[in-house]
Amino acid sequence: MGTYFELDKLDLLKDQFDTAEYDAEQAEPALYIGKEQLLDLMRVLRETPTYSFDRMGMLTAVDYKEYIEMVYSLYSRRYDKWVTVKVKLDRDNPEVESMTQIWEGTNFEERETYDLMGVKFLHHPDLRRILMPDNYEAHPLRKDFVPLEPRIEGGVLTWHKQRSMS
Amino acid sequence: MHSGILYSLGQSLREILTSLIGVPILVDLLMTIICATILLLIMATSALVFTLGERKICAFIQVRIGPNRVGPGGLLQSVADMLKLMDKEDIVPRGIDKWLWVLSPILLLVPSALIYAFFPFDDGVILADVNVGLFLLIAITSQTVLPFLMGGYASNSKYSLIGGMRTVAQMLGYEVPMVFALMGIVMITGSLKMSAIVEAQSDVWFIVLQPLAFLIYIITALVESNRPPFNIVEGESEIIAGPFTEYTGMRWALFFLAEFSNLMCIGILTTTLFLGGWHGPDFLPGFCWFWIKTFLCVLFYQWVGWTFPRARVDSMLSFGWKVLLPIALINVLLTGVGIYVYNVM
Amino acid sequence: MAQTEKYVLNMGPQHPSTHGVLQVQVELDGENIVGAKPVMGYLHRGIEKLMESRTYVQCVPFTDRLDYVSAMNNNLGFCMAVEKLAGIEVPERAEYIRVICAELNRIASHHVFIGSLTNDLGSATGMIYAFRDREKILDLFNIICGARMTAHYIRIGGVAADAQDEFLRDTQKFIDYVPEMLDEYNKLFSGNEIFQARMKKTSIITKEMALKFGMSGPNIRASGVDYDIRKIDKYGAYGKFDFEVPLGKRGDNWDRYMIRMKEIAESAKIIQQALDNMPEGPYMAKVPKVLRPPKGDAYHRVENTRGELGFYIVSDGSTKPYRVHIRRPSFVNLQALDTMCKGMLLADAVTAFATIDPLMGEVDC
Repeated sequence: MGTYFELDKLDLLKDQFDTAEYDAEQAEPALYIGKEQLLDLMRVLRETPTYSFDRMGMLTAVDYKEYIEMVYSLYSRRYDKWVTVKVKLDRDNPEVESMTQIWEGTNFEERETYDLMGVKFLHHPDLRRILMPDNYEAHPLRKDFVPLEPRIEGGVLTWHKQRSMS
Repeated sequence: MHSGILYSLGQSLREILTSLIGVPILVDLLMTIICATILLLIMATSALVFTLGERKICAFIQVRIGPNRVGPGGLLQSVADMLKLMDKEDIVPRGIDKWLWVLSPILLLVPSALIYAFFPFDDGVILADVNVGLFLLIAITSQTVLPFLMGGYASNSKYSLIGGMRTVAQMLGYEVPMVFALMGIVMITGSLKMSAIVEAQSDVWFIVLQPLAFLIYIITALVESNRPPFNIVEGESEIIAGPFTEYTGMRWALFFLAEFSNLMCIGILTTTLFLGGWHGPDFLPGFCWFWIKTFLCVLFYQWVGWTFPRARVDSMLSFGWKVLLPIALINVLLTGVGIYVYNVM
Repeated sequence: MAQTEKYVLNMGPQHPSTHGVLQVQVELDGENIVGAKPVMGYLHRGIEKLMESRTYVQCVPFTDRLDYVSAMNNNLGFCMAVEKLAGIEVPERAEYIRVICAELNRIASHHVFIGSLTNDLGSATGMIYAFRDREKILDLFNIICGARMTAHYIRIGGVAADAQDEFLRDTQKFIDYVPEMLDEYNKLFSGNEIFQARMKKTSIITKEMALKFGMSGPNIRASGVDYDIRKIDKYGAYGKFDFEVPLGKRGDNWDRYMIRMKEIAESAKIIQQALDNMPEGPYMAKVPKVLRPPKGDAYHRVENTRGELGFYIVSDGSTKPYRVHIRRPSFVNLQALDTMCKGMLLADAVTAFATIDPLMGEVDC
């Protein structure tokens, strides 16, 4: 897939954003950014003509037990370059700006991430569960996920915490 | 006056009855009952035959085998289907308009059975050869719209309602050009009597004299009987089954039966109105020719149906009003001019 | 003045033409569509979660179940992502066999597209013809790996078994048959007036909209965006083949259909080249019995039949992936449904479902 974003340009970005950092040891280093500056960084990546990352290739979150990491994979059709942007989020209250403000097509993917990982996207137009039932209260892709127990209550399917195994 | 096996059979039956009973009114009544029973039997058996025929033909067109397990070569498949349908649970959905819902499939069968009275099957073999035969035929066939709308409304389902509404729209759009197309035939014949229309075709069939009307008629007939490519009322990929989405078992089978009966009706009508009815070379009796032509027509309609995709409702309606109706009117005009020229010459 | 009221029609999850278990809440004004809201999740099996408790090799069969009508492409995507993560070099012959299988599967998947589209348009005949030809490809898969739909043939490091002469010969036969097949389709439906009237100028997606929604695959190419990952990334052996990327102009249903018809011909071209230049050699790389990719993450995307299929795999150095995320093209493409349906008629909604070609196994994952 094309070539990775040049390191000198990553350096430029690092100067521009004080929370940006990357591991220069790696061949294809991901660009880490604080969640406050994420939206600005993305705007710059998308709108600066020398970057023009016009495509949000993939968007997801990974639960690293201590923190949750958002992963964005951007692709520039014009320069055939790609870059990975990562944001570390607080695991107990993961909140991040919604990318729908820049790429409208991330709507469903963010809803999925919200549904399965519990990341709240601020300023998302329609943040609802997308795959799991609407009244489901857990986020399955978290590492400490325990499946809820389905029960019919008053003709409605409800979900309850499992009673302890012992 | 009349000739043909069927006519002589009927006459001898009448003579036997007269000698047995003697009262003319009773004899007439008995004859009518016998004829009506025979027609109903024809209708019911033809539905069975046509179901199998349709499935076999459709399978042939679609490079498949078709039903081949029940009976020799799958011949009894329709019987098995019928038994299965009768055996099915009769589900009555909640929130329906009970009376309309129950009546709808039954009422649908009435017009499609009634019109068999006006078909001339052979020379002189026609149950009710009334003066306004064609007029009555059109009037009765257009009644099928009401049960559809009733079923669609009464089912308390949006799909059914959309289907019911579509029926009305397409009836309005296609009844008019159809009537105008048939006007040409009436003008040439000078009569609305079905037997007279067939009689007028003893030399030249109306398909030759009225090619435009024939084209318009086959299109509108496809619409009238909800055959593809104009089966928007059922449109199974859009609105499931239209007005009969909520029906099951025998009730659904009645809709089905009416549909096949309609298909046969348009086959018979095409034969009667354009293909010379029971006329044909002498080596076969008239009713044989009648049925051969009817089956060929039905085959044609099925062939069309299994080849084309479904038309969209709006383009179909605008086609009816903006294309077919003007052509039908022009046809009436041309026929008038033609008749005038013919008379002058 | 008559009073009218909008109403919501619930299409699916049980509906003849929602391609599986897609539910669409269509807001209607008479028969005009005001909005269409897709509701998903009826086929959610939690494949991403399931993969976390399986070894890498055990994960591959799950990918078959994602987009179950083009399983080979999914196998390819996952295996290439793992190979990238673990640094495995795939032998050339395996690459060629992979390309042949993936492209055959692309044709088979387009057969399903054509079949379901014509069925939704009310001509079941088209479906049978398309499925008859799809059967030929499934038979080819049967020869090469013993499975027809969920093949699980492409493995990490290569392919499961070598391509036999019988397979290569029969594939050649099928490729020779392709022009005749397309000709028949064109005669049967492409040239049909009703078919064209229903497809042309309906459910238009402009270039801008397609880019905005992040669409991919034939759907974005129908809008005139040259975006084919086979050409851009040249992954696997694709760089060695000469093929064109067909593009549409208007982005209507007709373009989306024609693109796929042309893609079948292009795929046949690729397979022909692969058959002609098939190298000799091993069909499987040396992959350790217990695969432990180094710590780190990898994202690899391939051109699935429905668009850009990406696998993001995080490894913690153990035998099982720490996290797998699948970027499913149909899932993203489905966002355009609302725009496609707005202002159209109910009958067009069905065509729009068909031409956007979502596969619920993939959407719900």
